Amino acid sequence: MTVRTANRLSTLWLVTVLAFLYVPMLSVVLGSLANTRYMRFPHKTWTFDAYSNALADYTIGVLHSTSFAIAGTVVLLSALVGTASALAFARYDWRGRRLYQRFLLLPVFFPQPVLGLALLLTLTAAGITPTWKTAAFAHLVWVVPIVTLIISIRLYDYDPRQEEAAVDLGASRWQVFRYITWPVIAPGVVSGSLFAFLLSWSNLSLSIFTTGADTTLPEWLFARIATNYSPLVPAVAVIATLVSALVIGVIALLSIVLRRR
Amino acid sequence: MSQHNGAGRLAALPAVLLLAAGFVLPILLVVAYSFMPSRTFGLDSDATLANYQSAFTDDYWQPLAWSASTALVTTLICLLLAWPTAKVLNRRAGPFATTVTVLIALPIFISESVRLFGLSLFLMPGGGILAGTLNTLFGIEIGSILNTRLAALIGYVYIHFPFVLFPLLLGLSLIPREQVEAARDLGASGWQVFREIELPLAMPGVTIGALLSFVLSLGANAEMSILGGQAVTVVTRAIEQRFSYAQDWPLGAALTVLVIVITAAIVLPLLKRIDLDGLIRR
Repeated sequence: MTVRTANRLSTLWLVTVLAFLYVPMLSVVLGSLANTRYMRFPHKTWTFDAYSNALADYTIGVLHSTSFAIAGTVVLLSALVGTASALAFARYDWRGRRLYQRFLLLPVFFPQPVLGLALLLTLTAAGITPTWKTAAFAHLVWVVPIVTLIISIRLYDYDPRQEEAAVDLGASRWQVFRYITWPVIAPGVVSGSLFAFLLSWSNLSLSIFTTGADTTLPEWLFARIATNYSPLVPAVAVIATLVSALVIGVIALLSIVLRRR
Repeated sequence: MSQHNGAGRLAALPAVLLLAAGFVLPILLVVAYSFMPSRTFGLDSDATLANYQSAFTDDYWQPLAWSASTALVTTLICLLLAWPTAKVLNRRAGPFATTVTVLIALPIFISESVRLFGLSLFLMPGGGILAGTLNTLFGIEIGSILNTRLAALIGYVYIHFPFVLFPLLLGLSLIPREQVEAARDLGASGWQVFREIELPLAMPGVTIGALLSFVLSLGANAEMSILGGQAVTVVTRAIEQRFSYAQDWPLGAALTVLVIVITAAIVLPLLKRIDLDGLIRR
């Protein structure tokens, strides 16, 4: 086999893989452009009606604000806890660090719905009514370890002697953090926050057992998909995905602007 | 290196407290409930093994067996699909490979309910995207695999493929290119290079990918309800039914403990062998 045929074959394979991953998402977009109660593809009329209906729907707005409340809480708290946790994970040399590293990874390698169910049992036994706040807590258990790993990647390239040099030159502890450590880990904290937002925004398995009467977007979609097709459902799916892309774009842009200054 | 015992402990404290309350405590509570008599809601009764007995005798083991075997099959299929993909992406470094890598990563961040819904719209009988297109363009009428175990399995692979691919890419990047070339120059066959060099050196990546895929599939339930039409009860759904409709916390807890035991038996020994510092430091 010549190099060229090998390259063509490999391109063909990659295109196949991408098609497998993207055809379902394209199907969601196609499914949203109808105005029929039943899925009859190809549609007789192609229309954006479902989108205007979704945007006018009060419930859809509530779903977005619930998802935002959870994801926002998760981003803020996981950035704080994750930064400290990453210092313990990768920066400091302390007794128990290896054990800590492994302990922290356990929630990542754990079936999420099972964790959700265990948390539900715990909340019920403790007499706590689940709301979006308990869901944010559930998300944190899973997101903080991931954010820790992302920030840790930055810390492994870090030379701790810079800090010692700064202390020798008379810097305070705050100055050391502000001018030496923070610039190194800041990009990690930004990408960690992006991950935290996306993971929380799209989460179904933990939310479904821990939100109580509140409903997030993925939960609503899941419930509606199980009942019946209507173009409103794929339209909301597309809107929710675009909103998350928009948030990510804004955060990424802000961090670039702030770094330039 | 100097020791930072105080600073390390202090920095780890918030995360440790979070996991103690949100991970360790729920697991301990589930274990405690699993030993309580059926249909009780307190923890003050005498411990009993009755729930584990019912878990194995009253057919509750079937959802567990189905979920565990599906998780295994999913992991194997994902490894078979992801290995050539990762090899190609690793070999063809450049803008094209980078673009493809990003495109494969993106779906991870779109809710699985959305993606599985798309797959079901695609597979729907009659007016589904695939059936409708084939019928209009070529006049072909096709049946549908929607609401079968096969459709659910495709969903499992679809969702978990990226979780296997990225650790594999990381693993393959650990292999020095010269080592593969040297082996080839010495006359090693493709199979020998794979068996003697690539697989052992990429093993940390293979292990992490396989672990993620197995564990995530073990608890997965959206695939079965959206694509499989509940053709089979998955273990998560069985537990949920015990907790909610049946109001039988102890039996639900016993099933949960069995899932946790399977997870721990697979994750703990493998996780112990991976050198985290080495893997992340690269």
